[in-house]
Amino acid sequence: MRIIKTTLPLFVVLLAGTTVVAASSGRYLHVRVSNPGQHEQVRINVPLAFAEKVIPAISSGQLRDGKVHFGHLSANSVNLRMILDALKTAPEGEFVTVQENDSDVRVAKEHGQLIVHVVDRSSKDKDKEKVDVTIPWEVALALSSDADGDQINVEAAIKVLENVGDITLVAVTGPEETVRIWIDSNSGAE
Amino acid sequence: MILLAKIGIGVVGTAVVGGTMLCSEGMLLVKVREKQVDGKNISLIVPAALVPMTLKFVPDRHLARASASLHPYMPILDAAIPALEDCPDGVLVEVTSAGEHVLIAKQGSSIVVDVNDANEVVHVAVPLRAAHSAIREIAAAAGAT
Repeated sequence: MRIIKTTLPLFVVLLAGTTVVAASSGRYLHVRVSNPGQHEQVRINVPLAFAEKVIPAISSGQLRDGKVHFGHLSANSVNLRMILDALKTAPEGEFVTVQENDSDVRVAKEHGQLIVHVVDRSSKDKDKEKVDVTIPWEVALALSSDADGDQINVEAAIKVLENVGDITLVAVTGPEETVRIWIDSNSGAE
Repeated sequence: MILLAKIGIGVVGTAVVGGTMLCSEGMLLVKVREKQVDGKNISLIVPAALVPMTLKFVPDRHLARASASLHPYMPILDAAIPALEDCPDGVLVEVTSAGEHVLIAKQGSSIVVDVNDANEVVHVAVPLRAAHSAIREIAAAAGAT
């Protein structure tokens, strides 16, 4: 009887722990677009496991075999793959800082994350538009893994995203709309 | 008397097996409620397995155009629908705007679409497996796949 009394709480704790781990195993990509002025909001919640299975099946437009071909960008002298390769070996710090009258751009590698920060003041509205992109370093590496010079590997990036912590990938704040794209383990978009 | 009993058991058995087969893929549910004073209230509950079964009797020529449109997307649908079945329940898409609310969610083995606007409330639940069977049936029409 004493054994049962001793082991029962342990069993309950073990069961609860297993339940919590099982419940938190599903990762979600959330997209939220809000336009408070128009009282409009769009929320999209994509289970990453679902995206991982579907993306390799898509063969349309620029997306084929889980990879996005961006030939049009390299034609404009911007080769994303080369930039990512160069960033792999670069030490942490600020890479690009551009300050102009109507915009600021900052690209940096900080705390194992690739950070892009853009402020656009060209809008006539008094509110400026801000774009913050945070890409965990392992995701940035996955984007350039197993891909030719004009491709980024979305399938590999999604696999890696399943293992990174909760993070806001993209935040856009404009005078009218806000956009947020983030990863967490909640099935809802809160 | 024994012969009658045997026939009865056969009929009841066939009905039970047939009913079980029909309901095996869940129920397709469509509810529409118009908000006007004399608005209609429509509720339709159909065994989802009936849809792909019925499509087998539709002549290919009536499905040819739909089949051609579906054909390029079949690899995606073949991957997406079973993957969706494996996903946990939850809201996939929610659109809220002034006077309109649209919700697409996964509930059990079905995709549920709820639309609530100024004129009507619509609720549709489509079992995924039956939807997949129906889509494959349409795509296969006229030898498309």
